[in-house]
Amino acid sequence: MTTTLAHYLNDVRDNLRLDLSTEREVINELETHIEDRLQEMRQAGLSEEEAANTCVKLLGSAKLVARQIYETHSQGSWRQALLASMPHLIFGLLFALNWWQGIGWLSITLVLVLSMAIYGWWHGKPTWLFPWLGYSLLPVVVAGLPLLYLPKGWSWLAIVLYIPLALWLVYSIIVQTIKRDWLYSSLMLFPIPIIIGWFLAVELEGKFPEFSIQHLHDFAPWIGLSFLALAAAVAAFFRLRQRWLKIVILVVSGLLTLTMVAYYPDGRLSLSAFLVLMLVMLGLFLSPALIERKIRKRDVIPRGGW
Amino acid sequence: MPQRRELMKGNVDSLLLCLICQQPMYGYQIIKELGRRSQGYFQFKEGTLYPALHRMERAGLIRGKWQVLPTGQQRKYYHITEKGLSILVEKKGQWRDFLAAMNLIIQPASVEVGK
Repeated sequence: MTTTLAHYLNDVRDNLRLDLSTEREVINELETHIEDRLQEMRQAGLSEEEAANTCVKLLGSAKLVARQIYETHSQGSWRQALLASMPHLIFGLLFALNWWQGIGWLSITLVLVLSMAIYGWWHGKPTWLFPWLGYSLLPVVVAGLPLLYLPKGWSWLAIVLYIPLALWLVYSIIVQTIKRDWLYSSLMLFPIPIIIGWFLAVELEGKFPEFSIQHLHDFAPWIGLSFLALAAAVAAFFRLRQRWLKIVILVVSGLLTLTMVAYYPDGRLSLSAFLVLMLVMLGLFLSPALIERKIRKRDVIPRGGW
Repeated sequence: MPQRRELMKGNVDSLLLCLICQQPMYGYQIIKELGRRSQGYFQFKEGTLYPALHRMERAGLIRGKWQVLPTGQQRKYYHITEKGLSILVEKKGQWRDFLAAMNLIIQPASVEVGK
């Protein structure tokens, strides 16, 4: 196959953003089409280069073909939508029904989130995995907090060891996710600004272990509602076909939920903190796209490596 | 040409179902066959055939299956499904009604003479 056609197929593959097996099948099918077309044109007396150029012309824009094929596969089923919004729903219910105080419910949630994330990760990384993956990163952060309360000296040692390890873990998961599609990375990081927003709005009093349970209790229904809103947005994300609409639903619902956090009457989120969180949210949404572009330029992402 | 494409837009599924119903076909074969039978009237932008085929496959109207040709090459043949067949019957009915109505308008005299 000529360089022109190889570039064409690579261009299609780069813009497909589907799971590996579907991508492979689409590319194989286009490759067989090109083989047939080339053979016909060679028989008609065209040179290799002329045949390749005509072939590309007849196929049409690689980006358009990839986008149209993406849209036929991008709509998740209702089952996938439900499964993907489940972690947000669980966290929503945990707060809305005030189950968050029970160690039993918290443990069940933790085990469930980790099990689903590990199961999905080792079973072809289906699209519903990514929201679970986002929540499974929370224990990594939470586990680091007690390190602050270790005796002096030990605390520093633990932090020096733990922080790079945790950052490496989070970064490698983000990069792996970007290899599939940067949009799933954004989906994974979706709840983080909201969680930080609530953390600031509740304004924990004193050090972490001594914060006012009652204070959090007052906020719980509203916190629950914000997670339920995220669940609805994720379900819509999965049911939409067009990529730009998926991006819009993530950005808009994220910003609206953050506004909901900021304008809760008893909240302590200042305007400046709110604006900073808005920027963090936009950064988290869009930085995976920039990272993907950067990595692709360096050709580090092997599309077949996902 | 653009008008033809507009006319074709809403009828791509019917055309593809019609062809695949007669015999299982692969993408390139479909394009050639469509051009041949319509005497060049229906010309697909080749790359856009595959999104249509994939959409119909996802909708359960057709089913793709890789098969090995006598030459050893592999091709993805599309077969019509039961659901595709019933949709095709429905679409054909709609087309016949449409054509009959069009004929009544375009050639009123000849239709009446025919009667």
